[in-house]
Amino acid sequence: MERHFELELEKLNKRLIQMGNLVAEQVHNVFDALLRGDAELAHQIIEKDSKVDKLDNKIDKLCQRLFALTQPVATDLRLIMSALKINNDLERMGDHAVAVAQKIEGISDYHEIIEELHIDELVTMTDMIVNDVITILNTKNVAFVKDIFDLASAIDEKAQASTAMIMEEMMHKTDVIVVATNLIIILTNIERLAGYSTNIAESIVFIVDGRIMKHKKKTFEALGNSGTETVTDAGSASDQDKDISAEVTPS
Amino acid sequence: MKETKIVTRDLTLHYGQKMALNTINIPIPEKEVTAFIGPSGCGKSTFLRCLNRMNDLIPSVKITGEILIDGLDIYRKKIDVVNLRKKIGMVFQKSNPFAKSIFENVAYGPRINGVNNLKALTEIVERSLKNAAIWDEVKDRLHDSALGLSGGQQQRLCIARTLAVEPEIILMDEPASALDPISTGKIEELIFELKKDYTIVIVTHNMQQAARVSDHTAFFYLGELVEYGKTRKIFTTPEKKQTEEYITGRFG
Repeated sequence: MERHFELELEKLNKRLIQMGNLVAEQVHNVFDALLRGDAELAHQIIEKDSKVDKLDNKIDKLCQRLFALTQPVATDLRLIMSALKINNDLERMGDHAVAVAQKIEGISDYHEIIEELHIDELVTMTDMIVNDVITILNTKNVAFVKDIFDLASAIDEKAQASTAMIMEEMMHKTDVIVVATNLIIILTNIERLAGYSTNIAESIVFIVDGRIMKHKKKTFEALGNSGTETVTDAGSASDQDKDISAEVTPS
Repeated sequence: MKETKIVTRDLTLHYGQKMALNTINIPIPEKEVTAFIGPSGCGKSTFLRCLNRMNDLIPSVKITGEILIDGLDIYRKKIDVVNLRKKIGMVFQKSNPFAKSIFENVAYGPRINGVNNLKALTEIVERSLKNAAIWDEVKDRLHDSALGLSGGQQQRLCIARTLAVEPEIILMDEPASALDPISTGKIEELIFELKKDYTIVIVTHNMQQAARVSDHTAFFYLGELVEYGKTRKIFTTPEKKQTEEYITGRFG
């Protein structure tokens, strides 16, 4: 292959990792600010979002250029297609970090509620899922994708339980309605961060072996058996492309 | 699923001592486009020429195995090769119109097949030129020399000449490699139209072209069929590493 194309793909990979690290840092810092009630750090996170946006544009442009100039196929096609989606998911994660940051000032006087709800455990799990998915993005080791799905499910459950507790509290104490609403918004953002992490994990699987996992609940179970096995009902090309050529084994 | 038009069974070809094709087994579906890709010398053109027995013309060639068209072996003893080639048209890399008028180029095949009635010939010429998407460009100068046409027009004229004898299969050996992008686009569009009525097998070095025009793709390397499958599968998730490396340009 032409060397310059390899370099462009390397650049794309590098920028995607850079974007991933930047977003992971934003997420980590916003959780730190949330647990410590640090309004100053929250402000810095909001400011830093412009960096995420700039990098988002850079990656989009690079993908556009690669599509237009190189007519990629197979692995290269899957990488560039997925880079666009992953980039979009990361940018949205950055926005969710900002959304959490914007609520921190409004809840900083209610630290005891955060402790009661064990939000620290939830943010630790979410911080972990974001970091793990960036690691998989870097290594392309899809054997760990199942862990991402499992962790996302646990985060969902925990966030829903916390939301239910907050709503219960709201019914009895009208004076906490504003802070409780802010907390529910934060929990929704946390759930979305986990959701985008699973999207990225699915995209990585598509890059590595072409399996399409989105919209297929069964893939969770299939991955339970083996992180790398073929999931025939997962929209993989294997079924729909069964054809005349399958009758004969190439010599 | 479409019917299979051509099947090869353990097709092996030697040029003297050198094996050029090694036990090729491939089913080619009817009224679809099948593209052969692979690096120079991989055997794809040799294989194409087996399909209308053009390799018979080379003395050192030895072929074993079978090629079945509509279930009949084309290498069986009693076959009439002239009739076989009537059924299988061929278009080459370089357009090769005769030094005759446009009309006579297209009428040539039907004439030697015994059609002498001018009205019938005129109808065949018009229909063939229309089906080859060149009628509008030449209808007012049918009796001008074919050599005055542009490269792209000459190639479409050659396709019209092929269509005039009503083949069932059209073999194309890099039909657009000598053409500019606009003429190439016209040939590709034409291939797309022609597959409604004909089984088309195309050899191309242009992988984007294979991806654009074909339904099935076969990747050949060193005389072997490495991978054969639906084009949309080969160009998105090929099974074999060699195929992946070739189509992404990482070969060698």
